[in-house]
Amino acid sequence: MNGKELIQKLKEKFSHFILKAEEKVPSKIYITVPKEKIKEISDYIFNQLKARFQISAGTDRRNTHGDFLVTHIFSLDKDKLFLLLHTSIAPEDASIDSITPAVPAANWAEREFRDMIGVTPVGHPDPRRLVLADDWPEGIYPLRKDFPYDCKIPLSDSPAPGVVMKEPKEGATTVPIGPFFPVLEEPSRWRVFVEGETIVGCDYRGFYNHRGIEKLGDSVLTYNQIPFVAERICGICGYVHSCCYCQTVEEAAGIEIPVRAKYIRSIILELERIHSHILWFGIAGHIIGFDTVLMQTWRIREPVMWLAERITGHRKTYGMNLIGGVRRDIPKEIHQDILNVLNKVEKEWLSVIDAIGGDTPLMMRLKEVGILTYEDAVRYSVTGPTARGSGVEIDARIDHPFAAYEYIPVKIVLYKEGDILARTLVRLEETLESIRIIRECLKEMPQGTIMADFKKDEIEAGKEGVSVVEAPRGEVIHYLITGEENKPARWRVRAPTYANLQSVPIMIQNVTIADMPITLGSIDPCFSCTERLEVVDVKKGEIKVYTPEELIAISSKKYGGK
Amino acid sequence: MFFLGVVNLLLVILLAPLYEGVIRKVKALVHSRIGPPVYQPYLDILKLLGKEDLRVSGNILISLAPIVCFASIMMVSLLISIGSIQPPLGNGGDVIVLIYFISLGAFSIMIGAAASISTYAFIGLTRKMMLYMILEVIVVISIFTGVIRSGSFMIADIIMWHLKNGPTLSMILAGIPFFLVIQAQLAKLPFDIAEAEQEIMDGPFVEASGPRLALFKWSFYAKQIIYSSLFLEIFIPWPKTYIIPVDIIINLLKVLIVMLLVGIIDVVNPRLRIDQAIKYYAGVAIVALIALAFAIIGA
Repeated sequence: MNGKELIQKLKEKFSHFILKAEEKVPSKIYITVPKEKIKEISDYIFNQLKARFQISAGTDRRNTHGDFLVTHIFSLDKDKLFLLLHTSIAPEDASIDSITPAVPAANWAEREFRDMIGVTPVGHPDPRRLVLADDWPEGIYPLRKDFPYDCKIPLSDSPAPGVVMKEPKEGATTVPIGPFFPVLEEPSRWRVFVEGETIVGCDYRGFYNHRGIEKLGDSVLTYNQIPFVAERICGICGYVHSCCYCQTVEEAAGIEIPVRAKYIRSIILELERIHSHILWFGIAGHIIGFDTVLMQTWRIREPVMWLAERITGHRKTYGMNLIGGVRRDIPKEIHQDILNVLNKVEKEWLSVIDAIGGDTPLMMRLKEVGILTYEDAVRYSVTGPTARGSGVEIDARIDHPFAAYEYIPVKIVLYKEGDILARTLVRLEETLESIRIIRECLKEMPQGTIMADFKKDEIEAGKEGVSVVEAPRGEVIHYLITGEENKPARWRVRAPTYANLQSVPIMIQNVTIADMPITLGSIDPCFSCTERLEVVDVKKGEIKVYTPEELIAISSKKYGGK
Repeated sequence: MFFLGVVNLLLVILLAPLYEGVIRKVKALVHSRIGPPVYQPYLDILKLLGKEDLRVSGNILISLAPIVCFASIMMVSLLISIGSIQPPLGNGGDVIVLIYFISLGAFSIMIGAAASISTYAFIGLTRKMMLYMILEVIVVISIFTGVIRSGSFMIADIIMWHLKNGPTLSMILAGIPFFLVIQAQLAKLPFDIAEAEQEIMDGPFVEASGPRLALFKWSFYAKQIIYSSLFLEIFIPWPKTYIIPVDIIINLLKVLIVMLLVGIIDVVNPRLRIDQAIKYYAGVAIVALIALAFAIIGA
């Protein structure tokens, strides 16, 4: 099925409800539908056409079009198509039918645009606040254009009501995990309901890490400033975000980047995947108490970091991307150094893979634990190694080729078991595949410029772009609407953990409390990626709610202060 | 006897952190790290002793638990033989008293955890109880194999009998389970399930801080020497020169070897789940029972 056939199919099925349909760039289909029909059409796309739900974006267009725009983004991976459902919402009735009952994966996405721009998803099964802080006042929506990016919300005098967490069912007790917990590097709060040691349910509250990055992108930053901020979305795999952002702008503005720049992007992306997967395996070892794995894998990882520093000037925050290409070339002289490091890492990594195969206690902890079935993986639209460990054959590098992957085909690593071991093996083998890709890239890389020639200040307003990058943790998707004054009007980011984290409650059903950390760890969660927005913090006790002033008073008393 | 008692106490209590330091160093080598200096555990204890004692619940049991734990360890150190064959309190206590005092140490930790209001302490407590029930059975059966063979409840008699008669099938079979139990009794991986820092944040010790934590830690270090010595004296008492200072040195070297073995098993394993650990020790218990059966028929 190609784009035209898809549009034809939808028009036959929904006739005049398809208000507008166009294929702006090959494989990206933009369809406008009325808000009454959004649920039915989404249901058809998700459940009949077997599309994968990616994300929703809410945009405040009141000053240009006089409406809110809600965009549900789907991907038909087999057909290599993106499908964007636009719905125009009148400001006087800011609501839309929730698609979550039909598309379970849309749960968070819908709650997020409700929090951010104030369009209510009617009929949502879990309409609690998701993103905004507990004491954020009702009726203030930070992503609306009339909300200044540097606005300071005055702290309310009355204690915050907070988000009501679910209560355990009869007979179960609550084990709190987080907001701060030894093996979670970032804050995330779980209430795990257990009977004995077995988990029977859980509730999640996250988004403690908001930094307002999307708002900055929508308001003050110019096109070429954003790549450097985007890179700071993630603490490990930041390059995927700057890469994905640049691709999106390039698509919206119709810029074709030089082939050599594409190869360089691919090389850095794969280097990042190598060090990220090695890092993950070390952390997984640490979570189950196997610190030797942690120490040895991180030792193996270190040369990759030095190599990245050699190529880009920094271990992790590379600063390589600009709209239209990359900033630094990879000269011929360091090709041999790259190959040397890769050979060393490959040799050591093969011996790691060898060693864990024969490790019975390790197998006992990873095998048949935290199972995510194929059906659930599809229902929650998980991505990356989490999906591939459950037998879902998706990889953005193959389904929607970007950078140099159209020239260098990627071999997919697939396991069907859906347990932690499967996700582990996917990552271990992908590391080797990444090493192979870098070698191929270095061999095939053509000569030429690394920056496209285009007029930097003339990116037309009102254009749209959507693009994906396969990050180590799964698929990163950016959606962008261009705006005036060399700035985007809307920049929507979705990190892979956003999708994967929503499947964790399924994975931890009926595992023991001992397996909870490693199951959560097995999706390689990255909370700072998932959470990008606001900065109000509130400390909350289970029974008594302290105000910040009280807390300060208590802590200074303890430490002998005033 | 008094002199021997002082020697035992000093060896167990004062040398324990040094042994821990050596093991940490070996672990660091396996990790490709440099590791802390061998005297680091002494510094840890000193530092903790001087720190503020923070507590969330004012229960008296929480204050008492570490003291009872440490006292029971000191008591046990007088009931085992390190240099001389006769333990310092030899005539005052047989193996039953010994087992009671060893259990008291474990119980005090459990009671301390039960008095806490933390969920993690409670999970640690239940795990510790489940493990303890099977571990203690194995310890008792193994020691009783020696009791049956020697026909005496006194440790000195068991050692004397063993030295005289040399290795026998039942004693070898009983020694293996005892050695395997050391791993879990000392809360080493893959059996540090009740503490499990990454899962339940040190379980029973989650609310221990300052001097209380120092006493718990010190007891743990001392327990390593006690269990290793007990295992060596009952099941591998050779070589014996009958010159007390020489025997002490030989014993301390043997203890180091056992502790290094335990430390190496610790460093190359991930943590098991409680159900997996209990299954494993159920198998170990069967070996111990077979040893007991052989002892009864005199093999």
